[in-house]
Amino acid sequence: MSDEFAQFQEAFFEEAAEHLAIVEEGLLALEQHPQDLELLAKIFRSAHSIKGASGMFGFNAVTQFTHKMETLLDLLRTGEKAVSPPIADLLLKSTDCLKTLIEAVKSGVAVDDEVVQRLTTELATASGAQPPAVPQKQSVAAPTQSDSQERSYLIKWTPPEWLFQRGLDPLQVLKELNGLGDLSSVTLDMTRVPDLAEIDPEKCYLSWELQLLTGKDQKTIESAFEFVREDSKLVIEAQPVASSECQVASQNPQHEIRNQQPETVEGGLKPLGAILVESGVVSPAVLEQALSQQKRVGEILVEQKAVTPHQLEQALNTQRQQEAASHTKKTDTTSIRVDTAKIDKLINLVGELVITQSMLSDLGSRFEIKQLPVLLERVAQLERNTREIQERVMGIRMLPIGTAFSRFPRLVRDLSTKAGKKIQLVLSGEETELDKTVIESIGDPLTHLVRNSADHGLEPPEERLDNNKSEVGTIRLNAFHEGGNICITVEDDGRGLNRDKIVAKAVKQGLIGENEKLSDDQIWPLIFRPGFSTAEKVTDVSGRGVGMDVVKRNIEALGGTVSIKTVTGKGTTFTLKLPLTLAIIEGMTVRVGKETYIVPLLSILESIQPKAGTIKTVVGKGELINVRGTYLPMIRMYEVFVLEPEYTNPMKSILLILETEGERVAVMVDEILGQQQVVIKSMEQNFRKVEGIAGATILGDGTVGFILDVRGLLEIARHNTPVAA
Amino acid sequence: MAAAALETATKELHQQIGLTTDGSQFLTFNLGEELYGVDILRVQEIKGYTAVTKIPNTPSHIKGVLNLRGTIVPIIELRTKFNMQTIDYTAFTVIIVVVVRDKVMGLVVDAVSDVLNIDKKDIQPPPQFGAKVDVSFLNGIGKSNDKLVALLDMDRLLLDDEMQDGTKAPKAA
Repeated sequence: MSDEFAQFQEAFFEEAAEHLAIVEEGLLALEQHPQDLELLAKIFRSAHSIKGASGMFGFNAVTQFTHKMETLLDLLRTGEKAVSPPIADLLLKSTDCLKTLIEAVKSGVAVDDEVVQRLTTELATASGAQPPAVPQKQSVAAPTQSDSQERSYLIKWTPPEWLFQRGLDPLQVLKELNGLGDLSSVTLDMTRVPDLAEIDPEKCYLSWELQLLTGKDQKTIESAFEFVREDSKLVIEAQPVASSECQVASQNPQHEIRNQQPETVEGGLKPLGAILVESGVVSPAVLEQALSQQKRVGEILVEQKAVTPHQLEQALNTQRQQEAASHTKKTDTTSIRVDTAKIDKLINLVGELVITQSMLSDLGSRFEIKQLPVLLERVAQLERNTREIQERVMGIRMLPIGTAFSRFPRLVRDLSTKAGKKIQLVLSGEETELDKTVIESIGDPLTHLVRNSADHGLEPPEERLDNNKSEVGTIRLNAFHEGGNICITVEDDGRGLNRDKIVAKAVKQGLIGENEKLSDDQIWPLIFRPGFSTAEKVTDVSGRGVGMDVVKRNIEALGGTVSIKTVTGKGTTFTLKLPLTLAIIEGMTVRVGKETYIVPLLSILESIQPKAGTIKTVVGKGELINVRGTYLPMIRMYEVFVLEPEYTNPMKSILLILETEGERVAVMVDEILGQQQVVIKSMEQNFRKVEGIAGATILGDGTVGFILDVRGLLEIARHNTPVAA
Repeated sequence: MAAAALETATKELHQQIGLTTDGSQFLTFNLGEELYGVDILRVQEIKGYTAVTKIPNTPSHIKGVLNLRGTIVPIIELRTKFNMQTIDYTAFTVIIVVVVRDKVMGLVVDAVSDVLNIDKKDIQPPPQFGAKVDVSFLNGIGKSNDKLVALLDMDRLLLDDEMQDGTKAPKAA
C-alpha cells in the first residue's frame, strides 16, 4: 500500500470517528426527542458519509453494515417506522459494532463475526425486510436464496478513458454491484488496449461484460455507475431468470471481497457443512441444528464447571485487553482537530509576518543610518508578530475539556440500563481549556470514576426511595481552574463510601492492623490500593478491584492528585487536580513597582480604589478594608513579595478583591495594566515551585511575568504577619 | 608495533589540532581575576546579558528568570553565589546556559574566556580549606599552561537546597 493511500485511509478513519461520534450523540438525543426529524437527518447523513467513504476504500464489511443501518434510519426518517427504545438501542449497539469494524480495518484485529451478523439480522428485521440469508457462525446457506423478484441482468460497461485521471477505480463499481446481488460472471474485454509503446498509462482502455443476479431494479443498478456515468457506455439488459446458473468467471473479483465478507461462500474452499448439504447427505436443517450445537471453548468449559462464568468473562476481558493493547500503538493517531477560527487567526498573523518581512528587506536594500528609528520600529513589529504566532501555535494544542466529557452521556445511559438504575448526568465547565495530551490521558481515569459512581456509588431506585432520596441518581462532572490547577470533579449523590467495609477489607488484606485507629482521611485512600474492591458482587462494569489504582497512577503520572470527599448516605466526590502547565488562562496584568504580575481573572471579583477612612487596622497592624459594609483583610503585595512599590499609600493604589476557596481578600497593587490570555509556563521545569506563584508566562515585551497563586499569596501573608509585626 | 605507533601518531596529531582523547574540554570564564571551568558538554549556549524578572522570596544569588525562546530559565549570579563582591555589568557580562539533569539554567559571569583541553593528569583534587572556604562545588583544579582553572561540579553547584526546596527560601520581613 502506498504511503499516499495510507494517508487517505488515515483521513478516512478520522472522519469516520467524527461521524460515529455524531451518530452516537444524535441517537442519544433522539431517545429524548424521538420526533426530531432534523436530528434523524443528521444521523442519516453521517451514516451515509461513512458508507460512502468506506466503499471508496473498499472496506466492504463496513460499507455493508452501514448500509443496513442506513436502511433502518431511512425508514425512521421517512416516518415509516417510529423511533422506539428497542430501535434506538439496536442502533446504538450497531454504532458500537460499526466502531469495532472500522477499528478492525484500521488495526487488523479480528472482528467477532457473530455479533456483526446478529446485528445485521436484527437491523434487517427491524427494517421490516425479509432477513437476508445470514448464515449462522459458519455459512451454510445455499448460495442464493430463491427470491421471486430476482432477475439476471447483462451489463455491458465501457468506462470513459478519463476514468483513472479522475482517480476512480472500476473495481469499486464491480464491488458495489457485487453488493447489490450475485455478480456471477465478469468478463474483461481488453481488445482496445493498444501496443505497449502506444499505451497512455492514465487512460482506461478496458471494458466489461457482467452478469448480475439481483433482486434490485434496474435503477439501483444504474446508481452503482453514478460516478462514472458520464461518458460511459452502459447497457443494462434484463434477462430471464434461467441464466442465473452461470459459471464463476475467472476474473471474478469476489476472491478479494470474500476475505471481508463471510456471507459469500461459493467458490474457494467450501465449509464441510456446505459440501455435505450439496451432496445431499444431510439436509440444511439438520446441519444448522448441528452447527447450533457447536460451542466455543469457554462455553464448554463453563458447562463442565471447569470455570465459572465470571472467571471466563474475566479471561475474555483479559484477552480483549491484550488484543487491544497490542494494537494501541498502531491505532494511536497523532493528529489534532483545530477550531477553524484559531487557524484563520494564525493565517492572518502569518500574513502580517510576511508583510513585516518584506518591509524590512525593502528597508535593508537601501538603508541609510538616519532611518535607524524606522528599522528599530519594524524589528520590534517583527518581534511582536513572531511572538504572537508562537503563542497561537501553542494555543492550537489547547482543547476544551468537553471533548473528553462527550463520551459520558452514552456511557452513563448504558450503565443505567445495565444496572437498572435511573441516572442523570450533569456536565459543566466543558469549555475549560486543557492541553490535548492531558485531555487524552484523563479520559480513562474519568471513565473509571464515572463507572464506579454509577455502579457502586448510586443505589438502586428502591433503596433511594427508602432513603428519602429522589429516584433518579445524579452524577456531576465539573471542570474548572483553581489555584494554579485544573480541577475535575466526579460527584455522585449515592450512598457514599462505607468506612466499616473498607476497614474490614483492609484488615483482611493485611493493609492495616485490626485495632488500628485511623482517621477518615487515612481510610479513604485505601481504595486506591491495587486489588481493593468492596463491591459485594463483581459485575461486568466494575468491582474487580482494578481501576481505582489505575486512576491514581494515571493522574499521578500527569503530576496531579486525586482526593476523595464522602458523606455516608449523601454521596462521594472525587477531585482530580491537574497542574495546568501549558494551559491558557485569562488573566489581569497588574503592576507593582517595576514588576508585572498576572492575576487569574477567575479569582478577581472586582477592583476598587479605596476612599479615605475605609481602611482600619486591628491590633495595630492587621489592615481591613470596608467594602460596602464588609471588612476584608488587606494584603499589600509589595510586602509579601518584597518589592519596591510606587505607592505605599492605599488611597493612591488599586485594590483587587480576590476570592480563593470561598475566602475574600483585598490585594493592593500599583496599577492595572490590562486583561489578556496567557499561556502558562512551568516554573518547575527548570527551577522549582515558588510560593505564591502559580506559574510564569511570557509578556508582550518578551520578558517573564509571574502568575499569581492567590491561595499561596494568602498563606505567605499569614505566615509573615507575626514576623513583620 | 605498527598499531601502537599509529596510535601515538594519532594522539600527537590530535594534540596539535586541539583534540584530546583522554581528559576533556572545558569552557572557561572569568570572575574577577579567577578562572573557572565547566564541562563543555554541559553548556547549551552563551548569550549576552539581558534583564531578568526577579523571583520574589528567593535567595539573592538567584537573579531571576529569563525567557529563553519560550522556556523559563532561572538565572544564577555566580559572584553572589560564591559570596564575591558584585560588580556592574559590562558588555562582556554573559549568561552561560547549562543543562543540569534535564534542567536548563543560566549562570551570570564576568566574561567567557576560552575552551581548554585539560588532560586528566593535569587535574588535581580540590584543595581543602576546612570551614574557612566552601569548595564543595569544585570537581578539581585544572592546570593549563600557567593558568589555574577551578573546575565546577554543576550537579552540586546548581542542584543544592535552594533549587530544590522552596521552604528554605528566607521569609520576607
